[in-house]
Amino acid sequence: MKSFFYLYQKTIKNRVKKALKRPVAYLGVIFISLYILMIYQSFQVFILEGQFNSTDNLVTLLSIITFWLIPANLISYAKRKGLLFRPSEVHFVFQAPVSPKMVLMFAGVKSFAINILIGLVIAILGVAWFEAGILQAGMYFLFFVVFESILEASAIIFCYGNERLPARFFHGLVLAMYLFIAAVAGLAAFLMITKEPSFGLLKEFFALPAIQLIPVVGWNISATRLIFLGPDLVNLVGTSFFLCSTLGMFLAAWRMKCTGAYYEDAMKFADDYQARRAKQKKGIVSIPWLEKHKKLKQASVEYKGTYAKAIYFRQMLEYKKNPTFIFGWNTLLCLGIGLLVGAVSYFNDLGSEIGMAKVFIIPGVASYMVFVFSGYATKWSKELENAYTYLIPDTPLRKVWYATKIEHIRSLADGLLITLPGAITLGIGPVMAVLTIFLYVCLQANRLYYGMLADAIVGNILGNTGRTLVKMLLQMLALSIAIVPTVIAGIFVGVEMGFFLLILFMGVLTFAGAAIASVSFQRMEVQG
Amino acid sequence: MLEIQNLTKKYGSHLAVDHVTFTVPSGQVGILLGPNGAGKSTIIKSIAGLLRYEGGVGIDRMPARALEAKRIFAYVPEIPAMFDALTVREHLEYVRRAYDSNITEEGIQHLLARFELDDKQGKLGNELSKGMMQKVSICCALAIQPKAILLDEPMVGLDPAAIKELKEVVMELKANGVTVLISTHMLEMVKDLWDVMFIMERGKIIGSFTREQAKDKDIEDLFFQITGGGEAS
Repeated sequence: MKSFFYLYQKTIKNRVKKALKRPVAYLGVIFISLYILMIYQSFQVFILEGQFNSTDNLVTLLSIITFWLIPANLISYAKRKGLLFRPSEVHFVFQAPVSPKMVLMFAGVKSFAINILIGLVIAILGVAWFEAGILQAGMYFLFFVVFESILEASAIIFCYGNERLPARFFHGLVLAMYLFIAAVAGLAAFLMITKEPSFGLLKEFFALPAIQLIPVVGWNISATRLIFLGPDLVNLVGTSFFLCSTLGMFLAAWRMKCTGAYYEDAMKFADDYQARRAKQKKGIVSIPWLEKHKKLKQASVEYKGTYAKAIYFRQMLEYKKNPTFIFGWNTLLCLGIGLLVGAVSYFNDLGSEIGMAKVFIIPGVASYMVFVFSGYATKWSKELENAYTYLIPDTPLRKVWYATKIEHIRSLADGLLITLPGAITLGIGPVMAVLTIFLYVCLQANRLYYGMLADAIVGNILGNTGRTLVKMLLQMLALSIAIVPTVIAGIFVGVEMGFFLLILFMGVLTFAGAAIASVSFQRMEVQG
Repeated sequence: MLEIQNLTKKYGSHLAVDHVTFTVPSGQVGILLGPNGAGKSTIIKSIAGLLRYEGGVGIDRMPARALEAKRIFAYVPEIPAMFDALTVREHLEYVRRAYDSNITEEGIQHLLARFELDDKQGKLGNELSKGMMQKVSICCALAIQPKAILLDEPMVGLDPAAIKELKEVVMELKANGVTVLISTHMLEMVKDLWDVMFIMERGKIIGSFTREQAKDKDIEDLFFQITGGGEAS
């Protein structure tokens, strides 16, 4: 056990030491602090001015969270995916001469630490916003940190360490929890539809004795009500059941024999998680189930060119083998957003309601998508990891173009999907619709090449967040340059000319960015 | 002593290891050979307690999963994984505490010096190359001062000096009565080390020899004579 303390102590100390050496960490702390302050202020205004500041409301909010959190936790533990073990822990912790239950607690510490944090936040906000007494807040903190953590630790040992109950039992448990969540959500939805939907309705719902007496989840709510609202028969009974069940679970977990059979599942999850993290770091969206069931088709391609052009044709061959060709989740997202814009415009009659301003709706939505979504990694970014890309005897600029050419074709299709439904329902003419599509293509290209440029400038020096910030800064810089002639032309010539000049200027600035960023295709080494 | 009794492991319907039984006596070096997919890694991971299996694994006559057995058992995995935020030195300190090992400060220094890590003590786990991680992994295993040690492809990623050092370490362990089991593809690297050899194919042991039985026969000849292949893949 001492060794685990040593491990945590050294890990935290070294991480803090390392973070303090990076200037971006200070920026991050300032940014997060300001963000928390902003959220606190805005919620404070909402809660106090909306007269939401009663312990009744706090209890209802906590009940909603409890109804979601306990089954969700139990599902993840029953699937043996709730605890995160890293490959280093598989190597050094699983091997250590320590009880496998203790190893579970070692991993559970992260959850318990989060419990302390959540308990603290609830206690502070309870006093600051919801008129809870300090004693009540303290009691709830103790309840949440001590009893909830004991319950959670017992659930972890029961689900991971159980070597008697068959896998079928845990599949059943997961299914039962899903059904429970669906039933409660269904019931809440039914009440919301059949009665006047309001927060008061939820308050009544969670105050129902039947809800408070649901095993574990309901009993937890009873205890919360007892602490904040005072005793009544139902919450006293529910709280007693909660304490007894927690004690029972603890004793069962304590006595259970566990030899570490769960190591196999934990190791597999650690490997899968590591692989998923590596993909996420590169911006690759990965859904394990789909990856497992993905089958490539037979395909062929005729190489109509040599040198850098070969990159384009090889990518095309890979995409032709892909069942969905060059399209993916982003295509569906664009279609969804396009249909949403179309439907909202149609049902609100925006075409006639807002007049000429309607032409800015789709570009506004498209720009938001380009700026907010950090972008998804596709085949082009993999080219930078491949040594052959650098060895091809061609200029870096041509390599950039042919490595990213398919991205522009994809943007064209995405732009069409975003624009078309809205253009029809808003009654936007063909010229403006085409200009809007090209604007989307241009903005996507700008995001892509400026991302590459940010990589080339800062490399690994500022980390992922730093790179994103530099990229956004460059994007904003380009946009603020291009916007000047756009506005002038828009006012004095017409909207179409404004759009055309925006595309033209952004296109030139994007090309300039791509030309500078092509240095990335010159050598494999990354800065930092 | 390392005893494997009737070890069977299935992944779904795929039988990866089929009723494997073998013993590496105390103070001897066993080598586990076989082509890719033969089931070597599955056996190694089962012995290390990372997989569920049928059958039994014993370390010095104790069940491998017992804490007493774990205290005297060390494992060097094929792919080492370090704690990102722990230095080389802190890895060793963690192992010393986790196993309540009697290794002294000088002992740790000596180990680090043998594997040319003495100037890398302050490096964090995520700053190490694969070869260096392998060296740290070996040092951590040795810091336990085990009575049985399992080495899965230990030479992969090591430089020639470290390979030479590791071979010497294995011979020293053997001289001190430690049971060693090495799983490897590199026949050349273990030809001077082994006492007992187990050759696997398709989840089964298809041949086993002691040094005496093999007489002066070359390890490669023995391997290909049993597997019938042209290369040790």
